[in-house]
Amino acid sequence: MKAWPGSRCVCGTLSVVLSLLLAAAGAAQDPPESPAAPPTPAAQSAPALPAAAAAAPSDTTADAAAAEGLPYVYTKWRHFNLEDGLPHDYIYAVAPHGSKVWIGTEDGLACYDKETDTMQSWKEKDGLPFQAVAGIAIDPKTGDVWLGLFGGGLARFSGGRFDHFHQLNSGLVNDVVYAVAIENDHVWAATTAGASRYNMVTKKWSIYTEKNAPMEEIWNYGVCYDSGKVFLAIWGSGVLEFDVATEKWLEYLDPDGEMEIDLYRDDGIVHVITTSVSYVEKILWVSSYFGCCRYDGRHWRGLYAHETGLPSDFTNNLKARSANECWFAHDKGLGVVADFPSETVVTYTRDETTLRGKADIYRAGKLLQTVDMEKGVCHNFIVDLNHDGPDTWVATGKGLAWGIGEGYYPGLQSNPQWLEQVKSPPVAEPVASANQ
Amino acid sequence: MLRQIRFSRWFRMRSEVMRIDVNAGGRCALALLAGVLSTWLIPLETARAQEDKHPFFVGAAECAKCHQGPGFGYQHSRMLLTAHAQAYASLALPEAKEIARLSGIPQEPQEALMCLGCHATAAEAENWEKEPTFHVEDGVQCEKCHGAGSEYMAEEVMTDPKAAMAAGLTKPVKDDCLNCHNVKGSHAGVLRGKTFDIDAEWERFKHPTPDVWEYPPEPVLPEPVAEQAPQNIGSMMCGKCHGVPEMGYQYSAWRRSPHADAHAVLATPRAREIAKAAGVQEDPLYAADCLKCHTTAYHDPAGGHAESYLLDEGVGCEACHGAGSEYSLEAIMRDEPAALQAGLKPVTRETCLQCHENAHGKPFDYDEAVKMIAHPLKHEVQTTTVRYKNPLRLAAHPKRPELYVTCESGNTVIVVDTQRWEKVAEIPVGGHPTGVTFHPDGTRAFITNRLDDTVSVIDTLQRQVVATTTVGDEPHGLLTDASGQYLFVANTSTDDISVLDVNSLQEVKRLEASRNPWSMALSPDGTRLLITNTLPRFVPFRSPPVAELTMLNAETAMVEQRLVAQGANLMMGVCWHPSGEFAVCTINRTNNLVPMTRLLQGWTITNGLAVIWRDGRVDQVLLDEPNLCFPDPTDVTITPDGRYALATSSGSNRVAVVDLTILISMLEQATEHERTRVFPNHLGKPTEFIVKHIETQASPRGIVIAPDGKHAVVANCLDDSLTLIDLARLEAIKRIDLGGPQEVTVTRYGELLFHNASITFHRQFSCHTCHPDGHVDGLTYDIQSEGIGLNPVDNRTLRGILDTAPFKWAGTNPSLPRQCGARLAVFFTKIQPFTPEELHALDKYVCTIPRPPNRYRPLGADLTPAQRRGKAVFERTVANDGRVIPRENRCVTCHFPPLYTDRKVRNVGTKMELDTEDGFDVPHLNNIYDSSPYLHNGIADTLEEIWTVYNPEDQHGVTNDMTKDELNDLIQYLMTL
Repeated sequence: MKAWPGSRCVCGTLSVVLSLLLAAAGAAQDPPESPAAPPTPAAQSAPALPAAAAAAPSDTTADAAAAEGLPYVYTKWRHFNLEDGLPHDYIYAVAPHGSKVWIGTEDGLACYDKETDTMQSWKEKDGLPFQAVAGIAIDPKTGDVWLGLFGGGLARFSGGRFDHFHQLNSGLVNDVVYAVAIENDHVWAATTAGASRYNMVTKKWSIYTEKNAPMEEIWNYGVCYDSGKVFLAIWGSGVLEFDVATEKWLEYLDPDGEMEIDLYRDDGIVHVITTSVSYVEKILWVSSYFGCCRYDGRHWRGLYAHETGLPSDFTNNLKARSANECWFAHDKGLGVVADFPSETVVTYTRDETTLRGKADIYRAGKLLQTVDMEKGVCHNFIVDLNHDGPDTWVATGKGLAWGIGEGYYPGLQSNPQWLEQVKSPPVAEPVASANQ
Repeated sequence: MLRQIRFSRWFRMRSEVMRIDVNAGGRCALALLAGVLSTWLIPLETARAQEDKHPFFVGAAECAKCHQGPGFGYQHSRMLLTAHAQAYASLALPEAKEIARLSGIPQEPQEALMCLGCHATAAEAENWEKEPTFHVEDGVQCEKCHGAGSEYMAEEVMTDPKAAMAAGLTKPVKDDCLNCHNVKGSHAGVLRGKTFDIDAEWERFKHPTPDVWEYPPEPVLPEPVAEQAPQNIGSMMCGKCHGVPEMGYQYSAWRRSPHADAHAVLATPRAREIAKAAGVQEDPLYAADCLKCHTTAYHDPAGGHAESYLLDEGVGCEACHGAGSEYSLEAIMRDEPAALQAGLKPVTRETCLQCHENAHGKPFDYDEAVKMIAHPLKHEVQTTTVRYKNPLRLAAHPKRPELYVTCESGNTVIVVDTQRWEKVAEIPVGGHPTGVTFHPDGTRAFITNRLDDTVSVIDTLQRQVVATTTVGDEPHGLLTDASGQYLFVANTSTDDISVLDVNSLQEVKRLEASRNPWSMALSPDGTRLLITNTLPRFVPFRSPPVAELTMLNAETAMVEQRLVAQGANLMMGVCWHPSGEFAVCTINRTNNLVPMTRLLQGWTITNGLAVIWRDGRVDQVLLDEPNLCFPDPTDVTITPDGRYALATSSGSNRVAVVDLTILISMLEQATEHERTRVFPNHLGKPTEFIVKHIETQASPRGIVIAPDGKHAVVANCLDDSLTLIDLARLEAIKRIDLGGPQEVTVTRYGELLFHNASITFHRQFSCHTCHPDGHVDGLTYDIQSEGIGLNPVDNRTLRGILDTAPFKWAGTNPSLPRQCGARLAVFFTKIQPFTPEELHALDKYVCTIPRPPNRYRPLGADLTPAQRRGKAVFERTVANDGRVIPRENRCVTCHFPPLYTDRKVRNVGTKMELDTEDGFDVPHLNNIYDSSPYLHNGIADTLEEIWTVYNPEDQHGVTNDMTKDELNDLIQYLMTL
């Protein structure tokens, strides 16, 4: 495996960090007015590739990269917005399950049925207990949909019935719920005042705060479960690992302390202010407002925009697909570590002037190729995303995007099919016919 | 506090040393003691030491180390001479068993928390809270009233009243006594004539510490007679084996005898008089001349005394039977020659005469004395309890001409041959069997045992239980899917569905139902499983009920749809039409928001059917007719040709035959307005589609089509029989006897009255309607006639109700006869009240409705850490901010164990706009998890809301200082009560 760039570097300055924090505060309410991502230093130094209408690589570098192997690039996108039946276009969460895709918005819940191509939605007047649906998790055993309500607690949507759990009528620790996750017979809620764990069989609530967990701060942002471990991303307290079998905690803090810069890279998580976690194939991925990182149980690896090509360090969310592939929801576009061993990154952004989509492929921070698309992500302020077999769903500050992963492959392929397609686009544009 | 703890531990250690010193020269620890201590006592001590938990109960003997002798007013001996000391032993009396039986307590009284709560000390405590020196056999001892002693027992604490109180010493007031001594119906009915005058008893029981006190002399035991002679081990050790029902409760019999008081009586003025007259100058409590016949040790000095022996046990087992160290092992005791050789002495007239001949000039009649202290090994002849069958539900074998019938009271399943139409077998299963179904291949039958929370698996060829598996709380209906892969079980108390893998019997998932899921029906194509829920969903305060039918996808075992019936509740039986186009289920339509005066208009509780269409639409029609109601519709089945639906009315002993062709046609031709607004309440429409009523025996519950398709069979719950209905003639043609007792006891008579609607105007409902199976229907009612909507009250469970008087939320009815007598006629039934004979029987039955075992803390189980923290909150005296919580505002003051009610009317700030009074009866908290909603008007859906929403001024306990995790802990503890 090739080493990722940088031996010791500083990922930013305090002023940059403060501006990012301010941006985060504003972004929580509204997406940026002009969210087109400025070129990253890496992108600026990479060879510029001409962007054609059908965006085919045209220089020898790109051809060489294609021969060596390229990641899969999503070139077919479909957008959903108010006119498609969404109750609101600020999308907080998206969670596909079977033929259904559950969508949490700032004002309502929606469910898109891929088989029937229909959208159903619920607002408070329809029984949704609270308007803002910030997190969604589907219990694989029961099919029940659990909703984290940003200010309204937790809800279970089952067979058309909403059950409301909040801090006044249940053991839920706080009503400001950012994220939910299913762990065996439990549902976890990451809240602004700790984490709650609800046993769906015994109906028993547990609360985890600074009293019984190594939670220096109790503002829980993210939660995920896989392979017997629950991970919490906590604002100011890094990442906590909860071993389900032993009910013991393990904490991951930034060895640089509360410094807003990463003094010694790859020594731990990037910053104690974390925004999300994802644990897949026993690899932990962590996002923060100051960059992201990956942990394989022994080695940490920081992932920064200026050396990888990722659109930004400001990361709202992330979802890993495998040990080597992880998707990041940035404020300036969608970033994908498509193949970790080869340091291959794909970014998806939208040109706010032309409204066309763009995918940039980087290797070790060097831009290999740009793919121009008629349609990409529907907004550059990415809030959440989720994988759906070969497809991917991207929740943004203005609409939902469905990346259709026809021919998806993990890792790299030489001269992949998608490349041939963009070189010779079909006469009938498939995406254009997709209800847009 | 730490210093106090260390001191108290030192004090205990000092005590241990004292006892060891006394035994100096004796042999090593006895084998029996070694065994017991190593396996029981030591681990407890070690566990606590490791966790340093406190406080804990130290036992009365520890208190006696100071509180004895003339310098302390002989407090310990005085305590031993009270009924308190025999409170535990009295639970072995036949009267105690009768009280327990009348109260619906299924356990032996000495094993029932409800009995031990008042008859023992530290009944609710965890094992770690009890020192090895603590014995439950000591009954109500010092720490019952004064609190666990570990923290305040040290001299330096006890001599500083403030410090002692701070360390947990409590000084009871009269109300504390009344928490146990208040009149209890169960006790008054059995212990006739025994009354309790608190003021007189308070004076009699006073045991003040003298202003100038003095420590008692150390008890001195006689020197061992020989090193190799057997040692006295103490009666408490004998009681480990001889205290159980199988051994005739011999220990308790001794404990109640004067022998057990023999040492304590030496502390009485009369003893001192006798001693003085006999020329004994010393205090008789310490005089060897007196101790010779008043204690075991001096009577039979033996080879020494084990640590477990205490002088104050008086004349114990070993005084007559010889020092027990060598024969007390079970193996030796079971071998009489070996026991005799090891020191067990035969008891003869001479044994007694050694002390009793001419004792204090009193005549001694040996034969009478033996009768008085009789402690036979075998039980006295017990009265045979009449055990009825109470058949509830039936299922037809898929391949053989057999019916299986669950018998709730018999704890059996009866097999009926459907060719000969007679009972052919009876299979014992678990407690309170209710639901029954077969595997599609017929090899196995599955039975829910509602009391045990289990499913029994019966091998249908062997006709015996071959496996039992645990499911959720109080399981009822159950079915497999068409392929026999999954077994779905409705858990009524936990409001969910257990999905079991049929082959492994492992629960693979739990699906959320609505409230009290009851029955199931699988659609003819096998794709959908329809589940009824008897309790309505939680709805906004003062809103009509909404019932839910939970529809599962039977193949994926997931909830597919939740259908609702507006205004309905108590959905019970359900059956699919053979076409698969619709299903029908029985419903009540309870108009609980209007005063019960509307009963006279025939419109308070109506009964009917719901038609559930394949597309999710739900229609409702009534089965009531003008002047002829159909109370308590319980189950329904449909004839194989789809023509008729047959529904049972357990409150009027009838089956209604509904012509579905007419009913469906009526619905299809009706307008939307008629279907949604008219038919659900129309008493005239049923005459169009009910073609016949068929009489059954008492309380028909389950109904099923027989395997031949030509008959329907009804389970008559309170007649222990089945009614066979010929479907061609639509007539009952046979009563099939299931072999129950012929005798109708008073309690059974009461049960019949409870389940029959004849007492109400137009037979609209029975007691059972609002209290299905003695529990709740989940509704709040407007009972009073002072105006619409005033004083709404939550329906309360009848489970374990006996000793919780007064009744009614206002606490104005002092007894059940008052509650169920004239008041019932005035407010509910609107016709003549029950006769005194009926009332007596009804009350007897109501009192026997059992409360299921607590699911959150099995008897004897320790609390979980969260429950333990919650208990501390429940018992706390200081708020988080340091405020001392006034006594009257502490949880435990009003909710005092074992009933967790002080049975008073209290104002806890819950009076609301519609209430005319501000005080309400303090409800008991036993199995509180199972009786939502909460508060007098049922406004709180969950326990949390009682405090997060409805206690803004801290009047219902001080709770607003609590953090969320503390409230969670408190609730987890409340669930254990």
